[in-house]
Amino acid sequence: MVAKPSNNFSFKLVLLGDGRVGKTSLVVRYINNVFSEKQEATIQASYLTKRLIIDGVPVTLSIWDTAGQERFHALGPIYYRDADAALLVYDITSSETFNRVTKWVKELQQMAPPDIIMTIAANKSDLLRSKKINIQDAESYSTSIGARLFVTSAKTGVGIDEMFLDIAKRLMDRRKESAEGLLTAPPRKGIVIIDDEPEKEPPPKCCS
Amino acid sequence: MDSSSSSSPDFYGFLDRMRRPAAADLIRSVKSFIVSFSLNATDAEEDSKRVQEYLFTMEATIKDHPLWVNASYEEIDNAIEGLEKFIMTKLFNRTFASSPEDSKIDSDISEKIRLLQCFIKPNHLDVPRLLRNEASWLLAVKELQKINAYKAPREKLTCIMNCCQVINNLLLNASESVHHAPAGADEFLPALIYITIKANPPQLHSNLKFVQLFRRETKLISEIEYYLTNLISAKTFILNINAHSLSMEEDEFENHMRNAKLAIEQSTTDSRPQMLDTDAVGSRRKGKEIIPEEARYPFLDANPEELTSEDVKNLLGTYKQLVNRYTSLSAALRRLSLDENLLLSSSYSLSPMRDPPFRETK
Repeated sequence: MVAKPSNNFSFKLVLLGDGRVGKTSLVVRYINNVFSEKQEATIQASYLTKRLIIDGVPVTLSIWDTAGQERFHALGPIYYRDADAALLVYDITSSETFNRVTKWVKELQQMAPPDIIMTIAANKSDLLRSKKINIQDAESYSTSIGARLFVTSAKTGVGIDEMFLDIAKRLMDRRKESAEGLLTAPPRKGIVIIDDEPEKEPPPKCCS
Repeated sequence: MDSSSSSSPDFYGFLDRMRRPAAADLIRSVKSFIVSFSLNATDAEEDSKRVQEYLFTMEATIKDHPLWVNASYEEIDNAIEGLEKFIMTKLFNRTFASSPEDSKIDSDISEKIRLLQCFIKPNHLDVPRLLRNEASWLLAVKELQKINAYKAPREKLTCIMNCCQVINNLLLNASESVHHAPAGADEFLPALIYITIKANPPQLHSNLKFVQLFRRETKLISEIEYYLTNLISAKTFILNINAHSLSMEEDEFENHMRNAKLAIEQSTTDSRPQMLDTDAVGSRRKGKEIIPEEARYPFLDANPEELTSEDVKNLLGTYKQLVNRYTSLSAALRRLSLDENLLLSSSYSLSPMRDPPFRETK
């Protein structure tokens, strides 16, 4: 497959979350619109792309899954160093997984690009009734770090489309702002392309 | 196993075009670009910048060139791919593993992996239970071990991609066979680390650095970038492996490492090839096991009276393989030396440059 030039805005979204919080299922649900417990997942879900139209402009999200186990925690920066957005997922029934989110946030604030767009997903909301969960705390935390919080369920599909749409919109808004401020987005890896043509990206495999 | 990068560009088509009289200006440009490197001291980052910029400007040059008039996007792309391969093959010795620091990291990683191979098990890394099948790793291991058979950055990347695709297929089969959540990075990365340890790919650090620096930046994107990043991540993990990262007690880990060192020292005095698969230590190795290129001589130390009829069958197979390899190697060498003469006589002309004797990884 050859990367064809196309008029396309492309963003890198890194997925962070403890093992078993369902971050992979969340993305698979978003891409396929199915919950894999009922339907066979026939895609490999570590790297996925999604194409959206925001205000008439095609936008491609490259979704980078990362291994959530504690032993791989130190590898995080290798993945999010040049990310445009981070989606931090925790399991609404486990405060431990929320604590890990706060740990990642601290690291992102230090090591990720300063304008990275952060979103927190309070996942497994279908289990909400099983425990007394205080979403308010998570919500105020989220606001305090300039992130947005979405309550999601990969099982029922609640909140997922809205969340990704919001991420894409904020990414486009940021891109516009930096363009208006005559600040081109920082070059990914050294080469400065003076042309104002957007990044080239091959047609994504999974289109909506 | 069709990785998105592996539709092989037509290198000979590119060379043919470059041999036409109308390409004289391009040839001159490429020649002087390559020669210009001999004027400066080796500096990987600086070299990378120059190659990247050159390929970038050549893309525009080729687009406007009479030889590529009305050419499709694919044809232009093919030309730049050919150019990248040509230039990087010429500059390979200068740019690959060129600093003593790089060679040091290479040997550190390789040494560490040799120790880890002696005791690491899939469960130390959370490799999914369903995937704990030694035989199924073989293909992925082999793809990764091929990386030094190629000089062009794109082809080295193809080896990495092929390895990752094999792992992905294993994960897919596993998640389809059982009521299982979709496999993501939680499953993929541990598997890749485990495979990397099994494979102990030659000059891992230098290969990764080379690909990052010299693969065209516009091609190091999306899926390919993702999988390359994962291998970089696996390398980093392996370099820093300690008791904690394997969920072991400190002294248990130290013990393992000490024993591994002893075992390796012993085996080197026996001049035995390194053991890769600790699970299979003690069991006789069959022709198809995970053995690195240099360790494919399972019968070198065997006594005739110990051989079973199964061994004799294997031995015959190995012998045939050896003869075939020797024959094609001699042929390739003859061909290469012919090409070398051609190259020398026309000093850097674009005479047919052969692929390495191994064909494109599939």
